[in-house]
Amino acid sequence: MANYFNTLPLREKLNQLGVCDFMDSAEFLDGVSALKGKKLVIVGCGAQGLNQGLNLRDSGLDVSYTLRKEAIEGKRDSWKNATENNFTVGTYEELIPNADVVINLTPDKQHTAVVNAIMPLMKEGATLLYSHGFNIVEEGMQIRKDLTVIMVAPKCPGSEVRAEYVRGFGVPTLIAVHPENDPQGKGLAQAKAYCVGTGGHRAGVLRSSFVAEVKSDLMGEQTILCGLLQTGSILSFDKMVEKGIDAGYASKLVQYGVEVITEALKQGGITAMMDRLSNVAKIKAFEISEELKDIMRPLFQKHQDDIMSGEFSRTMMEDWANGDKNLLKWRAETGETAFEKTPAGDVKIGEQEYFDNYTLMVAFVRAGVELAFETMVQAGIKPESAYYESLHETPLIANTIARKKLFEMNRVISDTAEYGCYLFDQACKPLLADFMKKVDTDLVGKNFNEGKDGAVDNRQLIEVNEAIRSHQVEQIGATLRKAMTAMKAIKTA
Amino acid sequence: MDKPFVYIHDLNLGYRNKAVLKDLYWEMNIGESYAIGGESGTGKTALAKAIAGLVPYQGNIEINFDGQRKLPQEVLYVDSWYQFKNLEGVANFYYQQRYTSLQANDTLTVHAELVNYGKEKGLHLDQVEPILEALGFATFAGSQLIELSSGEHKKLQLVKALWLKPQLLIIDQPYTGLDTASRKNLNVLLDQVAKEGVQLILISNDAELPGSVQSFAEITDGKLVKVAALASSTTEIRLREIPDFLKESPLYSTSDMVKMVNVNISYGEKQVLKNVNWEIKAGEKWLLQGHNGSGKSTLLSLINGDHPQSYANELYLFGNRRGSGESIWDIKQHIGLISPEFHWYFDPTATVWQSVASGFYDTVGLFQHLPYTKSTQVDELLAYFGLTENKNELLSTLPLGKQRLVLLARTIIKNPELLILDEPCQGLDQQQTKYFNQLVDELCSNGMTLIYVGHFESQLPTCIEKRILLEKGEVKVVESLNTEILS
Repeated sequence: MANYFNTLPLREKLNQLGVCDFMDSAEFLDGVSALKGKKLVIVGCGAQGLNQGLNLRDSGLDVSYTLRKEAIEGKRDSWKNATENNFTVGTYEELIPNADVVINLTPDKQHTAVVNAIMPLMKEGATLLYSHGFNIVEEGMQIRKDLTVIMVAPKCPGSEVRAEYVRGFGVPTLIAVHPENDPQGKGLAQAKAYCVGTGGHRAGVLRSSFVAEVKSDLMGEQTILCGLLQTGSILSFDKMVEKGIDAGYASKLVQYGVEVITEALKQGGITAMMDRLSNVAKIKAFEISEELKDIMRPLFQKHQDDIMSGEFSRTMMEDWANGDKNLLKWRAETGETAFEKTPAGDVKIGEQEYFDNYTLMVAFVRAGVELAFETMVQAGIKPESAYYESLHETPLIANTIARKKLFEMNRVISDTAEYGCYLFDQACKPLLADFMKKVDTDLVGKNFNEGKDGAVDNRQLIEVNEAIRSHQVEQIGATLRKAMTAMKAIKTA
Repeated sequence: MDKPFVYIHDLNLGYRNKAVLKDLYWEMNIGESYAIGGESGTGKTALAKAIAGLVPYQGNIEINFDGQRKLPQEVLYVDSWYQFKNLEGVANFYYQQRYTSLQANDTLTVHAELVNYGKEKGLHLDQVEPILEALGFATFAGSQLIELSSGEHKKLQLVKALWLKPQLLIIDQPYTGLDTASRKNLNVLLDQVAKEGVQLILISNDAELPGSVQSFAEITDGKLVKVAALASSTTEIRLREIPDFLKESPLYSTSDMVKMVNVNISYGEKQVLKNVNWEIKAGEKWLLQGHNGSGKSTLLSLINGDHPQSYANELYLFGNRRGSGESIWDIKQHIGLISPEFHWYFDPTATVWQSVASGFYDTVGLFQHLPYTKSTQVDELLAYFGLTENKNELLSTLPLGKQRLVLLARTIIKNPELLILDEPCQGLDQQQTKYFNQLVDELCSNGMTLIYVGHFESQLPTCIEKRILLEKGEVKVVESLNTEILS
């Protein structure tokens, strides 16, 4: 199978990368009617599968689950999840032939095998739904021409998808229709109805394309979301220990700090995050984040280039074929880092202290979010798509670090994201070696304001504020966040 | 002479710029146990938390522990509210979560929680067994924390306290959510630990206290005053006139509100409801009773569209078979519901006004703009409940009793056909309870259908005419009542 994106002429590449429409709530007035009475069959019953299915059924739709024979016969967890919540469960052969919509919620790596198994069983004119476009775009999976192919991707973990639905809200969602597979022109109506069924229409829906989703998703997860958070966490911890800060304190500051800091990001963007610092600290964080952007820009660009050319997925798929040799090796190495092995100390760290004593992370986050956003936009991805895959998701990933450190983050994210994260981390650490030599405990571990009188130059402060606030990610973010104001704070610390 | 066990002088404590405790002076002698009563909002909880060192205060609080006594030299405060986290340390849960079957364990089991607690406090597990038995909690050892109802969480808190036996044990609202039998057993257990040397402070207006509690006090004008007995308020309350929009009789599209035919609910091996049959006709007023853990909440969750297993049962709601294409929002629009669990899971970021307004849409938190008529109705109802001055405050910052009033207002705001009140008055004082029950009577006189859950027969609205009793998931009694039986 050939990389789908690379088969397209440049004109069409740009066309598909540029699909981006933040949809008005009036577009969802038809509710779930496009799927009413249709048979929805979900493949896989993990966290996304189960929770999306519960929502769809509670919206009045007909949902059942199909699992592999072995999962049913072995009464695996996925089988129990589905049957104990009173869903019908059957084999591919039993359920797929009657399905109007087949929803593929299995991991990326299994997509080719799963789709090859179900496609021959699907009835003429049915719909295949993905929540990620990797299989179509990077692997170039060809879907039968009579079938409609759509994507609905809730931008939150499965548990949140359910929690927000039952309280009467939803999670931000991305939808797309594959232009090669929309023979009846019903793809968009069905994708919208699916969105209403899962509650996503209340929290902001972005219409995208398979191509734009994949190219931006890969970029975001490799760089700011997972890659830089991992690099920044490890470097910060090591620096504090090197400078004699108590290891338990350092471990706790790093584990929970990124969550507390990015909660401000979620509520009010980079502006709100930077505003949590004192004026002196803000100016300092601004300066070092500018420096960090200059140092890391070539690396961000390389990642984006490799994603666009298909080089990234080619090497990763080689590793799949190789039994995940590299992935498993890098995963083991991450488990061996000092940060990972040092438990968080039994010390109380106040909410503001996470900002004051961890100015370095604020700088890392600003640099990473802005760079990822800028690089994506320069590559032809629209600002709204770039926002979702950079700023929007950062707090969600930070939350996984707060739960159980990097190991947990890498367990929760997809293998694809994890693979890209390690690639970035390995290249980024040496790049930052000189920069880190200059970093002292005022930036990480101790209160930056200590021993300073707090005075700043008015004009400098105004300029810094202006630079932060006028960045495009802030302007687009302000608009998009309005649609999701009701999102709940996730708190661990 | 011995120093008093607790010695407080010049205690001052404010709550949001308002002085609550003023120059409070108090001595509690060795061997004494107290009940502290009085109206809600007088500062009882604040005082208790100050004694336990949980809130900042000005002045002096001395606890003179007895080095001779073997019991831990510790003050334990048992909150009237409970907290738990999932295995990943996150305390974000949602109301319906405990009805969903999920293989991966989200929270610790009761047993694991007790093992952890015992380890932390150096206690032996064999000593907790009799307490679990006495409170009827032993069967919950394998249950996850998320599966527990509010009454069961209360029991878990009490089990820990009675196991630890600290020299000073302060329990805020010890009886909240407990059924009658558990209350009696709790008093026996409290007397036992008192005999072993635990001194008690119970914050409660309840009449049936353990025998070891012989001293009483109330907070008046920021000072703790010893009284001969806790006064049960006898003042007659007159109901204000209810807002006009609540006087309209519901328009029923069918007289069959609820019909359950041999309903069964189970989680793995554990069966929670067994062959339940129940029919509710429009306008009927039901009392639903049963011990803690008898299946009441699960039964109500079926009616409110909150239970995933309703789809496999023969259940009819408002004339339609469940699972025939309706959404849970179609169901909820007929219903106004409140329960202790619903309160616990409610959105802490909503203001009082938003919380009440969200009742129009059955959402937890407000996600849309209210049209003018609806928004006026919210204002009217807030005024009716005396909550106007709190309308822009965050719900979660109000005292629990007030929070409960707000959610009660939310429950009736849309003048629903079916009112489900699951222990609605938990956390309210007697006056507020009486007041609310009179309101329920008035609403019901206009034809509203009611399901009321309450353990205390003295605290029920008078309109109730039918009773269903659950025992271990089975219907034991369905009967019509004349009001005499209840009084």
